[in-house]
Amino acid sequence: MRRIAAGDGEALSQVFDLHSPVVLGLLVRILGRRSEAEEILQEVFLQIWTQADRYDPERATPRGWMLMLARSRALDQLRRRNASQRRDETVADAEARWEGPVGTARLEASERHGRIASALGVLTPEQRHCIELAFFEGLTHTQIADRLHAPLGTVKSRILLGMGKLRQALSTS
Amino acid sequence: MTTTHSPRYDEMLPAYAVGALDGNELRELEAHLETGCPACGEQLALWQGDLEELAASVPPVAPSAETRGRILRLTGAGRPVRRAPRLRWLALPAAALLVLALWGVVRQARLGGEVERLRSERSRLERQVAELDRELGLARAESQRMAATLAILSTPGARTIRLAGLDPVPGAIGETFVEPQNGRAVFWAFHLPAPEPGKTYQLWWIGDQGPVSAGTFDVDAQGRGRVEVARVDRPDAIQECAVTIEPAGGVPQPTGAMVLKG
Repeated sequence: MRRIAAGDGEALSQVFDLHSPVVLGLLVRILGRRSEAEEILQEVFLQIWTQADRYDPERATPRGWMLMLARSRALDQLRRRNASQRRDETVADAEARWEGPVGTARLEASERHGRIASALGVLTPEQRHCIELAFFEGLTHTQIADRLHAPLGTVKSRILLGMGKLRQALSTS
Repeated sequence: MTTTHSPRYDEMLPAYAVGALDGNELRELEAHLETGCPACGEQLALWQGDLEELAASVPPVAPSAETRGRILRLTGAGRPVRRAPRLRWLALPAAALLVLALWGVVRQARLGGEVERLRSERSRLERQVAELDRELGLARAESQRMAATLAILSTPGARTIRLAGLDPVPGAIGETFVEPQNGRAVFWAFHLPAPEPGKTYQLWWIGDQGPVSAGTFDVDAQGRGRVEVARVDRPDAIQECAVTIEPAGGVPQPTGAMVLKG
């Protein structure tokens, strides 16, 4: 990030090749539309290029920072359009187009997917659903309660307990 | 709003990290986080680390070649280094100095051009003022001459003697106005050509004792000439007037060609 902040285009190119598949994967997961996700990806990397000096290594890893930038932008975009029109391209379709750096990167993604999948496996379906609605769709406690027709307190409990289980599972995996 | 850490905040942090916290709880926690609570900051970083794992667990999707190319073009990432990091601290001041220097040069050039323009404008205005002064002086002089003529004409008993052009200027005419009480007289000539170099026109009163010089005159561009006499000896004795061409400065008695007579 220091190199990018110093204007090293080669560093940005390397970061793009290393992390853009995961970032785009998250964008597709949130937005459901591949073309829209690629537009947001462009915005994210332009933001990284221009604001790399704002990256704080004590608060997040470079990948974590980029993913949070991407999630924030994607949720903003999601709120701007009708959620009912989402997902005209499925995640499965997008994954089938995987053409990125194979080998280490994909293996790492696959391993991470397995690790988080295992961690999420300890959650109840209701807890997992609430966390995913918050994280991937940007819904708040109240909105999730409305969406699921569930009591607000129940939603809060599901998220609190689910996050606790996730923490525990990830720390032991 | 308290700034003291509380277990209540520990319960809010997971929902805050995942973006689910809202309403009063959200406002309360954000106010607390702004105080820089180290315990909450540490916990929040841990929760965000967990969520990074969740975010990164999605199936990766490779960007299209078009998107990659567009991003790298927009960022200029095809170039190895945009600027030398060691000199970066110098870049802003140097750019500022460059801008200031360029601004100074441009301003100097603009000021120089402006000064030159103002000088030129001042010269033009000075010429215009001088010309207006000259015209004003001429107008005043003309006004004074006309006033003198009118003063003579308005005097009871004033005489007018009309002069006709002779060869070689048959188109010329002249008029003499004589005021007998005070002896003031004024003569006007029209359509006279400029005399040759070294020559002048001379006006003569002609009476029973022969011609008497009334003065010399030149003509302007319109062929007009004028002689004003403050006091004429024996104005009643003037029988005729004549104009001759004489050497510059005039002569006691006419010697040259007569061009006007009346």
